[in-house]
Amino acid sequence: MRKRAVTFLRKEAIGLASAILLACTIPSGPLAAEEQSLTVSMRLQESEWQVMRAEVFPRFEKECDCTVLPRDVPPEQLGQLLEAMVRAGQMKIDVLAQDNLRLLELVAAGVVQDLSAYEDRIPATVPRTLTEAGRFRGKLYFFPYRPNVQIAYYNAPRFERHGLAPPRTWTELLHVARTFKEKEGIGRVLFKAWGGAPTATQLYEWIVSAGGDPLVLTDSGTVETFRFLQRLWPYLSPDSRRAKWDTSNQFLAQESAYLAQNWPFGVRLLVQEYGKKDTIKTYSGWAGPVREAHVIGGEVLGIPVGSPHPTLALDFIQFMQSKAVQEIFTSRLGWPAVRTDAYGRVEVWMRPHFQAVAQALEHGILRKNVSYWPEYEKLINEAFVRIVVRGEVVEGTLHALQARLETFQARH
Amino acid sequence: MPFRPGWRPSRRVIEGLFLAPLALYVLGLTLSPALYTLALSFQDRLTGSIPTLANYRAIVEHFQFWEAAYNTLFITAVGLSLELCLGLGMALCLSVPFWGRGLARALMLIPLGVPTIVSAANMRYIFGTVGYLNETLYRMGLIDIPIDWASGGTRTLMTVVVADMWKVTPLVMLILLAGLEGIPGELYEAAVTDGAGPWQCFRYVTLPLLKPSITAALIIRGIDAFRIFALPLTLVGRSTPVLSTYAYFEYVDYLNPYTSAASATILLVMILATILAYFKLVGTEEVIS
Repeated sequence: MRKRAVTFLRKEAIGLASAILLACTIPSGPLAAEEQSLTVSMRLQESEWQVMRAEVFPRFEKECDCTVLPRDVPPEQLGQLLEAMVRAGQMKIDVLAQDNLRLLELVAAGVVQDLSAYEDRIPATVPRTLTEAGRFRGKLYFFPYRPNVQIAYYNAPRFERHGLAPPRTWTELLHVARTFKEKEGIGRVLFKAWGGAPTATQLYEWIVSAGGDPLVLTDSGTVETFRFLQRLWPYLSPDSRRAKWDTSNQFLAQESAYLAQNWPFGVRLLVQEYGKKDTIKTYSGWAGPVREAHVIGGEVLGIPVGSPHPTLALDFIQFMQSKAVQEIFTSRLGWPAVRTDAYGRVEVWMRPHFQAVAQALEHGILRKNVSYWPEYEKLINEAFVRIVVRGEVVEGTLHALQARLETFQARH
Repeated sequence: MPFRPGWRPSRRVIEGLFLAPLALYVLGLTLSPALYTLALSFQDRLTGSIPTLANYRAIVEHFQFWEAAYNTLFITAVGLSLELCLGLGMALCLSVPFWGRGLARALMLIPLGVPTIVSAANMRYIFGTVGYLNETLYRMGLIDIPIDWASGGTRTLMTVVVADMWKVTPLVMLILLAGLEGIPGELYEAAVTDGAGPWQCFRYVTLPLLKPSITAALIIRGIDAFRIFALPLTLVGRSTPVLSTYAYFEYVDYLNPYTSAASATILLVMILATILAYFKLVGTEEVIS
């Protein structure tokens, strides 16, 4: 009896071991598709990932008979990750999406491929300015797929209550800010004074609006911008100190601020999450003493050096620029399109917001890509805090900071 | 021949084998990153040469560094003092038997289970310009316009301290409560027999015997308070930097791991110096025994 039980157990054990061995040798789903898989690195919000996974990637998978493997990589870590993969000779990313304000580090590190030979694949409906964001020293490394530009959001009922119109110039902006402060006892105009990239990008636009060169801190346009901000600061919303790209939407939604500049992604958020469809209106924004200027942000696509599937990667980039995909972006995500003919499926309520984006893009400027940008960003933020928040002398402070900037420029 | 038949490892070998995984864990995941950070702080960003004091020079010359250091010390000192007083008060209350004591203990421990980032986000609803606190003060007729709790200065620091206290005071209470429960009741009986009143019992029995627990609470919370990060970052942003957020911004915003490592190293030195100073002040043997 006992012997029979042992034999049975032995047979069971052999059977189980064979099953495990078999399971190990049969490739699982993703492994089986490894040869036809395309790894794409992106940084998106969860709601954006959902649209990508449900509506965008399956189309490409069907068209090219492959599997798209998305990988969430923060833009600030992408450079280091690619460098490590290139050094190890084990590139595991086929296509990368990167913030167009953080491209130089990838080019300088030599981790992205020159795509100049394929420039003719960019659709004719893609504005030339957007393509230029991906060009460095005459070579095209990145293709545009998601442009972005900051527009002005305002709380229409609150403006109407105080008989105000959305400001179109700096003078009007000061008037609006002052009126809100006087009437409500607290500032309602938001400036993204959080620091870092949100503040630096906003300052960049304002300095260009004043006719200045943002990379020269002693430039007359820069000086004029800081002088104006010193006058404006007392009338701004106290939430400005915490205002950055994400929190600005929150302040608008909570109605602690009535006017703010931000990227267009906030439109859908304010309408769908906070129900502000009839409250929040948008327009391109205001001009400085010289012109209106908006930094063209957004993301571009590139192919890393050593990409395992470069041909498929190029097809994917073209696919992302196609009209069908861009229409998904505009209608489902509220992203501005990279091409001018992709607004056909946009809902009626979204159209005025896209008009604001289109107007802002007309005044679009590309931010200069310089290797010392991190140091510059730090200095311009320091200038903001010292001059605008703490009220230090404009020229003296800017001269001192310019001297430090020149030291960095020389070192680079 | 250590592995000859019949060989039995000595107690020391067995202890060493048991300790090895922990030692490897500590060395691999704690000590080596710390040493790497230390090395990074002495490395030149552009040339890669080592050693250099350029990173330390750069941060001590930066206008916000000293502010961050002061804010860190303020939050640690004031926060820790208040947490200790409040935690001791709560522990004393909960050490006395009363109906529903178990429930009260459980309720007071709830904040410990809330992730820091969640509690920070909640605190933003309280201390925001249009937050609950301003609304309450307004409805009570105490203010006409909202108070900007994040405008900087002592008010903002106290906002951070209060927000932090909500989450961490239960931990202090828990440590002190454990200490209180360990004090034998006979000591109080003897003190009362000798004519001691409640204050004298507290002063001459409770406090001296609670010293090891107070030390444990101070060290555990002190280290945490120095490293405070998510709460000030979410609640007050850059207007009130602390050393950890300063290091974070250096790394993430300005892509400079070298100055970030330098500020992290300074934070480490501050923590070590404070613990050593405390031991020196109170006496190592006395607080540990």
